[in-house]
This record gives sequence, structure tokens and C-alpha cells, in this order.
Amino acid sequence: MSDAQIWLIPGLPLIGAIIAGFFGPRRMREQSHWPVILGCAGACVYATIALIRLLNSAHDVTCRISAPSYVWFSAGQLDVQYSITVDPLTAVMLFAITFIGSWIAVYSIGYLHGDPGYARFFAELGLFVFAMCMLVMADNLLLLFLGWEGVGLCSYLMIGFWFAKPSAAAAARKAFLMTRIGDAGMLLGIFLLWRHFGHTLKFTELFDNVTRAFEAAPAETQSTLTLALLLLFCGAIGKSAQFPLHTWLPDAMEGPTPASALIHAATMVTAGVYLVARCMPLYHLAPVAQATVAVIAIVTALLAALIALTQQDVKRVMAYSTISQIGYMFLALGSGRLELAVVGIAAALFHLFTHAFFKALLFLSSGSVMHAMGGVIDMRRLGGLRKVMPVTHATFLCGAASLAAIVPFSGFWSKDNIVDTTWEASHLPNQHLFYLVLFLIAMFTALLTAFYTFRAYFRTFTGDLKVPPEAAEHAHGHGHGVSYESPSVMTVPLIVLAVGAVFVGMILGPTHWLAHFLSRTPAYSFLHHQHTGMELNWAMMLASTVIALGGLGLAYVVYVRHPSAEPRFAVNHSTLYNLSQNRFYLDEIYRGIVTMPATALALLSSFLDMLVDGLVDVVGMIPSWIGAALRPIQNGLVQFYALAMVLGLTVFLCILTLRGWR
Amino acid sequence: MDSLISVLLIVLLIVPTAAAIVVALLGPHRRMTVRCISLVAVLLNLAITLVVLVQAVPVLWAKSGGPTFRPDYVTMVNILPLGAAGSSPIQFYIGLDGLNIWLIAVTSMLMLPSVLISWESIKERSNEYYAWLLLLQTSMSGVFLSFDLILFYVFFELTLVPLYFLIGIWGGSMRREASRKFFLYTLAGSLITLLGILAVVLICQQHSGSGMTFAIPELVRTVQGFLNSGQTAFYGLNVQTWIFLALAVGFAVKVPLFPLHTWLPLAHTEAPTAGSVLLAGVLLKVGTYGFLRLCIPLTPDAALVIGVPLIGTLASIGIIYGAMCAYAQTDIKKMVAYSSVSHLGVCMLGLFALNEAGLTGGLLQMINHALSTGALFLLVGMLYERYHTREMAQYSGMGAKLKILATFMMFVCLTSIGLPGLNGFVGEMFTFAGVFDLRAPGATGHAFAVALAIGVIMGMWYLITMILKVFFGPLREPHHDGYFVGDLNTRELFTIVPIMVLCLLIGVCPQPLIDSTKTDIGVVVRFADQARNRVMATPAQPAIVQSEPNE
Repeated sequence: MSDAQIWLIPGLPLIGAIIAGFFGPRRMREQSHWPVILGCAGACVYATIALIRLLNSAHDVTCRISAPSYVWFSAGQLDVQYSITVDPLTAVMLFAITFIGSWIAVYSIGYLHGDPGYARFFAELGLFVFAMCMLVMADNLLLLFLGWEGVGLCSYLMIGFWFAKPSAAAAARKAFLMTRIGDAGMLLGIFLLWRHFGHTLKFTELFDNVTRAFEAAPAETQSTLTLALLLLFCGAIGKSAQFPLHTWLPDAMEGPTPASALIHAATMVTAGVYLVARCMPLYHLAPVAQATVAVIAIVTALLAALIALTQQDVKRVMAYSTISQIGYMFLALGSGRLELAVVGIAAALFHLFTHAFFKALLFLSSGSVMHAMGGVIDMRRLGGLRKVMPVTHATFLCGAASLAAIVPFSGFWSKDNIVDTTWEASHLPNQHLFYLVLFLIAMFTALLTAFYTFRAYFRTFTGDLKVPPEAAEHAHGHGHGVSYESPSVMTVPLIVLAVGAVFVGMILGPTHWLAHFLSRTPAYSFLHHQHTGMELNWAMMLASTVIALGGLGLAYVVYVRHPSAEPRFAVNHSTLYNLSQNRFYLDEIYRGIVTMPATALALLSSFLDMLVDGLVDVVGMIPSWIGAALRPIQNGLVQFYALAMVLGLTVFLCILTLRGWR
Repeated sequence: MDSLISVLLIVLLIVPTAAAIVVALLGPHRRMTVRCISLVAVLLNLAITLVVLVQAVPVLWAKSGGPTFRPDYVTMVNILPLGAAGSSPIQFYIGLDGLNIWLIAVTSMLMLPSVLISWESIKERSNEYYAWLLLLQTSMSGVFLSFDLILFYVFFELTLVPLYFLIGIWGGSMRREASRKFFLYTLAGSLITLLGILAVVLICQQHSGSGMTFAIPELVRTVQGFLNSGQTAFYGLNVQTWIFLALAVGFAVKVPLFPLHTWLPLAHTEAPTAGSVLLAGVLLKVGTYGFLRLCIPLTPDAALVIGVPLIGTLASIGIIYGAMCAYAQTDIKKMVAYSSVSHLGVCMLGLFALNEAGLTGGLLQMINHALSTGALFLLVGMLYERYHTREMAQYSGMGAKLKILATFMMFVCLTSIGLPGLNGFVGEMFTFAGVFDLRAPGATGHAFAVALAIGVIMGMWYLITMILKVFFGPLREPHHDGYFVGDLNTRELFTIVPIMVLCLLIGVCPQPLIDSTKTDIGVVVRFADQARNRVMATPAQPAIVQSEPNE
């Protein structure tokens, strides 16, 4: 593979999207998925080739593939190139995006079969994969921003896919707008970096400049850097749905489930994690920024887990668990202080990778349930689906076990890495208490995670069979042999992802391959490397296991043994229960403190504008007032004019005479 | 070849004028002939413009900067000698350089949709309508082409007349008030500008010793000569400030800069679609172009000391205020009109960053706004033609009914929002860069940057809210008499698609465009830098780390 061929990784899905978008609606119709699936699969092949090439590269310094670059725009000191690079960090992301993206595209054939927007869906999917690839391959901040906004757009379009539904339309706008708030901060951060560190946007040059500036004047650099990085993190907060900008993600579940799986679970929402990981050489110079990342992360993880406890919609539970798990990833990055930096990145990316598999799997399984049940996904109306949807049940269980971090599923290994990193961070000088608290909360959140995951599992798949009437048209067979299982075009991707959710962690966890590979990213040569944290911490693994099993057991006791426990809790502790169920009233609070004041301000501006306009009208009336004042003089009486002339002449003559006299 | 191009530039002015006369004489009954002649004239002009672009752009890429503007393909004809012998008279002096070439291109480009969108909607007195439209083209191209101050001013004022009639005769229900306000407001402003122009000319005549001249390059050279030789007695900051303010008033009304913008929403809402397109697309740019071509080069010190804090603040307020007002509108067209206030604020902020990135951003923003807002007005016009209402509340779920129109509207909104890969983004990024690198006494760029960032959020807010209200949700058409409402027809596709293609093109590869403006932007940048050296005794703070050359 020549270096220029890495352009095909974003290029092929884009071409697929263009073909599907232009020819899909009229010509290809039900065949519109082909260009996109082929494009994504091709991108996956090239991404794999690039990954293998990097694995085989001999030296750390050459562990990157850079394609020839082209000018995007350049004037003055702002110079932006179309320049892309694949290094280990990017390669891992690319593999996850294109591999999972391809399988989700296959799954969508079944899921969206017969939808009038079939071609549109695939065009948007292709566009999304393109933008996501650009995001992770960009080697300057504004090209990254291209991908960043591109995935945001696709997310908007996908959430609003069924735009005739008011809730979907509103959710689409909410998502686009809330992420945009973060993006505005991110732009400020980008330009602050550009302005103060050598007018460059290229990552490598930026890292170099900042590192040198830091050595020259630590205090001064640090304050600017901290501000810039916090602004940059705003973008990550928005895109990755972290507190306080997380409320768009649960609403985003209005979109088609494959889109939720790909965009709002597996890939796009991890863009923020990628951004912070990419900029880790900067973050580790700014402890305040990094601590902020950690605090936001843990608050989000805990908050989202608490909310997930009481949601009734399986997709919503999954949405909150996504928010919570991304919080874990940020926690790893925030804990990667000093010599732990690379360990933190590795833990975050590991979790990102496994999460992409098991969360996509969980969403697709929920989608399979939803597809079979005629669009119903409310746990209160479902039950005992184990028998009628065996494949979906098995794959959901794999995903749930992985999310709950049960040994030896993937999620266990990666989550263990994260809590281990936080634990290690509490051993760093001057950091004891801070990271110890984070560690304890993280452990508690792990307990909650296992609990709510299996709550969803037990309530949906075990117990007595409960099937809503909407599901009738999807039933196969009659009497006892009724099956609601989805078609194989949907179950095959489920099985593939389930295999990933079970085995990826086992392969990458104990061996630390991913960590070794990531540490060879050339940009991370700026980080300290003393501590690589490659040994297994058996005590920690034991503790994690106990906690995960505890959560599982608790869920079993509550939902299988004592099904009336939750309603009773809801009555006895209604304040707590309502707080959780109503998502801590954050949507209402935002409506009160942001939306309504902004709307009021808009109306006020509009009113003010009438005043300004009125003022102009008043000024405009001055001539006519003057005219009105002078009008009596023009009375048309010749005598009056003659008098005026004589008077004027007299005055004039007087002046002349007086002046001449003097 | 060069002489051919200069002839073509004159032809660019003659064709619409001639067509306007022919059309006017045809009488009101031959609607089809009138439309066809107008279309042919507009297409001819577009073709000429393309020939000029193909020839001129490579020349501009290779152009080297001088001490003043050096237009290419010049035509200079004396019209009226003034003052003593030896003075240069008022001239018919037109030419092309990096600052005006793309504005002329945009003018020719936007005329095509303007004629096409009027095809069916203008039924009465169509010969007069097209005559005024074509005359408007002459005057707009003339403003950008002029390198003589008086010629510039004549064309500048001449733009008012056709538009006055276009709004006043073919406008909406409040057309009379709108056209009157538009005419008087902008006329009042530009009269003050005329004072400023005369002041510069007279000062130059008195102190240069080479007689009176109205040629812009000549005046700029003279003024820069004064400033660089330290003759600040008669052209110090004080004098410059007055001249700057006088010049700025007329242009600021045109832009329009907050709080001088109130004529705009009314004029836009009442104007026929073609009028709105040209008003937003081209006429507002006359204001920003005036700042770029005249204000900054002729009074650089004042532009730096007074202009940056004053114009910058007003532009920042305008960005947020315009977006706020846009959100509050219930009329789609009025919303687009207020969005212009916001976008032009971005443009002005870029220009008054007074550095290469900012000025490039400002210039790009002019072109981008012309395309994006022009397209928005066209689409709103198409919607209006179908349902005869512009109230958002009347619509819902039109995405299901008018698929192509909805898709296009989405696309155009995205260009306006500044989505990367589309045109708006490039201009915005340069503006950001310019503002962050702002170096001027009495102003820090960060506050302006925050205003820009808020604008980035709010610009999206009102547009996607409009899309939500009009195109999303359950389908509910406004009340109409049950006639068939179809999606875009071929004529409408020809109206809108070229603009969208250009938007994408500028978004993906803007560099050829940027390169062609580089030299002449560089001239203005040098004036600004020299002003900085004069005004700021202490040299500007260097960045913490100097840029390393790329290896």
C-alpha cells in the first residue's frame, strides 16, 4: 500500500455516500445499500492493511503513515492543509469505526427494509463514516474540526431521520445545538493555541512549540495552555455528551437504532475521548485541565448511572450507560497524570475499543427487539423474550455481561484497566485524596452499572412471556412454536459483534498488546515513559469482579426474586426515585436558565429593534417638522413677501453700512 | 489580449444598459420577449465575466504588490476637467484587481437567478421591471469597477434608483414605506460619505502640489506619501478621524452596521425576491467594499485607532443582536434579513482585524454571504410562490412534500451556518484568526472572538429552528385553494443549483480564490501595518513561540 492510498479510507465511504445519495432515491431504491456497504468494507480493508503495516514497522519514529497533503486554505499566518496521517492511535480508531460501521450497515439492510428513506439512510451512513475517518486521520486541528462538524451533521440528520415525528425533529435540533455550544468553545480553544504557540495547527508542530514554550516560561505558558485546553475540552464535552451537555444523547435515541448504535454509542460520541487522547501531550502539561477532565468524567459517570437505574426504555438505559462509560474513558485520561499518561491513554482507548463492540451489540440487539416488537422498547410491556428471540437473547446477554464488566468478557478487562489507572494515580505525589475519591466513586459506579444492565436484561428477556400487540406482524409460526427472531441479515452482524464483545478483551487485556501498540504513537514521545503499567493487578481484578457480580446479584434478587421491589421502592422513596427517573430535572433546569432567557432576550431584541427603528423615523420626521414650522411663512400673500423683502433688504443694508462705518 | 479584456469590462457595463433600454422600449405587452432579452443579456454578461475570470485570475496570481492599488485592464477616459490646468480631471477610470474581481463575478452570477426567479412571479409591467433590474446590474458592476472617486460615487448612488422602483412598485404590501425609507436612509448616509471624499480630495490637492485628482490609486499613493513622510500636521489622527467617520457613515448604513440597520429588514421583506437577492448579495457588499477600498487605505491611522474599537464593537453587537432578532421573527424572509445583519457583522469584524487573515476573511465573507443569503432568499421566494405566505407558523413538515426544496434549504442553511467543507466556514475561520491576531491600541481581540463564537452558536440556532418549524414535523400545508403544488421545476433548479455548486466549491478548494486576492489584500495589509508602526510606539508583543519554518 502506498502512502497516498490512505486517502481511500475516508474516500471510499464518501464515494459510496455520493452514489447512494444521488442515485438511490430514484434508481437504486432497495439496492442503495450496496455502494455504502462496499465503501465501508473497502475502507475497513485499507484500515486493516494500514494497521498491519504499523504493527510491523521497526522504529517508533516511523510508526506513522502520512499521505501527501493539499492546501485547503491559507492566507496570512493561517495555513490549513488537507493532510492526513495514520499512527497507532488513529489506526485503532479507524479499525473500530470501519469494522463496526460495515457490520452496522449490513444490519441496517434488514432494519430499514421498506422505509421510504432507505437510500437517504445509507447516504447519511456513508457520509458519517467518511467524516469520522477524517476526524481521526486529520493531522491538524481544523481538518479535525471538519470531521467533527461532519459527524455532528450526520448525527443531526440521523436523529431527524423520521423528521415527521415531532419528538425526533426536536431531538435532532437539540443534539445539533448542544454540541454546537461545545464546538464554539472548541474553536476558541483551537485559535488560542494557534495564536500563542507559533501560529500552527498541525499537531506535531503544536506539541513541539508548546513543549518548548513550557520549558522557557512554565508559569505563563501554563495559564494560557490551561485556558485553551479547557475550551478544547468544551468541544469534547458537547460531542461526547458529558455533564453538563449530556442531555441531548438520550433524546438522540429517536433516530433509527442502527444510527444510535453507530453514531450515538460506538463511534461519534467517543470523538471527544479521541480528541483529548490526541492532545494528551498538551493536557499532561496542564494539571488543572487534566483534573477538570477527571472531575467532569466522574460526575458524568455517576450521574448517568444513577439516571439509568430507573429508566423504562431499554434504549434510554443504553444511552445513559453510554454517557457513563464515556465518563470512564475520560476518567482514564484525567488520571493519566505524569508518568501514567500513556497508561491512561491506553486504558481509555482500550475501553473505547471494547465499548464500541459491546455497546453497538447492545443497541443492535435492542433494535432487534424493537424491530420484532413493532417498535415497542418499553421494559414494562416486554418480558420473557428469551424463548422467542434466542439469538437476540444470547447476543444481548454477551453485551450485557461485557458492559457489566463480568469476567472474562471484554468490558471487564478494559474497565479494570481504567480503575487501576485511577488507583495508581492516587499513589502519585500530592494526588492521594483526589484520585482516591475518584477511584471509590468509579467503583461504586461499576456496581450501579452491573445493576442497571442486568435490570434491563432480566426485565426484557426473563420471566413470563409478554409481547405487545404491535408485534403481531413480525411473528413467525403459530401456537407454541411462535418465533419473533429477526432475519439473518440482522442476526449475523449481532453474532459477529458478540464474538468481539466476548473475545476482544481476553485477547488484548492480559497481553497489553493495545497498550504497547499505542505507546508507539510518535506524538507520545513527548510524554514520560518510565512507568508502563503493563503488569496485571490481581487484587484489583478481584475487587472489580466482586463488585460486578454484586451488581448482577442484586439485580437478580430485585427483578427475578422480588419483582415488586422496584414499585415499592418508588413509592417509599419517591423523592430519590423521581429524581433519577426525571433525569435530575436537568432538562427542565436548562429550559429555565438557558432556553427561556435566550428566547426572552430574542424577543426583547426584536422589540428593541422597533425602538431603534422608531428613533430613525423620528429623525426622519425632523425635516417635515421644520417644514411645518416654516410653512406659515409661505402663505402666498404678495404683500407679505414684499414686506419680507423690504425688511430683509433693510437689515442687509444696515449691516453693510455699519460695517463700512467701522 | 489585455486590451480585449479591458474592452470586455466596458462591455460588461454596456450590455445590461443597452438591454435595459431595449426592454423598456418594448412596452408592457410583450412579456415573453422582454424576459428572453433580459435572460440573454444576463447570460451574455455571465459569459463575459467568465472569460474575464479565466484571463485575469492567473494574472492576479502572479501579480506583485506595489505602493498603491494597481488595477489591471484599465480604461481611462477624461470626462470633466476640474480645477487648474494640470489637474487630472474626473475620469471614466475602470479596472480590475484582486479586491473587486470576485465581487463583479458574484454580481454577474447572481443576476441569472434574479432573472429566473422573476420569470413567473412578475406579471405586471414586466418591461419596466426587467429594465430596472438590468440597470441595477450596470450600476452594481460599475461601483466595483470604478477607480475614480466621482465615478464610484455616481454608480454608488445610481444603485439606489432602480432598487427604489423595484421595491416601490413590485414589492409587498408596505412597499412604499420600505422603498422610501431605504432610499432616504442610504442617501442621507452617502451624502456624508461624499463630504469625506471631497475632504480627502481637497487635502490632497492642497498639499501634494500636483493638482486635483479623483483617481483612487493616485489619492491613496498621495495619502500614504503624507503619512510615511511624517507630515501629520494636516493629515494627523485628528483630521483622519473626521474623514474616517464621514466616509464610514455612508458605508455603515449600506453594510448595515448596528444600529444603522433598521432600513434593511423592511426593505428586504417588502422587496420582490430578485430585489432581496441583489440587495443582500451585492448591494450590502458595496458598503463593506467601500470600507476595504476607501476607508482603510485613505485613513489607516484612524481606522486602526478609532475604527477597530468602534466598528469592531458595533460589529460584535450586530452579530449577536442580529441573530437574536432573527430568532424572534415569525416571517422567514425577515429572519433571513436579520441574519444578514449578523453575517455582515462577521464580515466587518474580519475587515477591521486589519491583518491579512482578517481582511481575507472579510472579503471571503462578502462572497460567501452573497451566495448563501442570495440562495436563502431564492428558496424563501420559491416557497412563497407556492403558498403565498412566509409565516413559519403556517408551515409544518414541508420536508415530506417538497423534498428537493427541503434538501436544498438544508444545504443552504448549512453553508450559512459555516459547516466545514462549505463556503461559510473558510471566511469564518479567517475572521477568527484575524481577530485573535488583532493588534490595535484600545482593543483586544479576545472579546471580539467571544462575540464571534456566540455568533457561531446563534447562527445555527435560528436557522435550524426555522428548519424544524417549516420542514420537520407532521405535514401541514398552509391554506391554499387546492391547486397543485409541486417540487422545484427545471427553471428553479437552474436558479439555485449553480449557487450551491459554487458554495461547495469555495468550501472545498478556496485557495485559487484566496491566491488571486492575496496581492491586493497585501497592499491594504501593508497600509495597516505602517499605521501600526506609526501609532503604536512600542512594537507589538511577539507570540510566545515564533513560527518554525516547515521542514
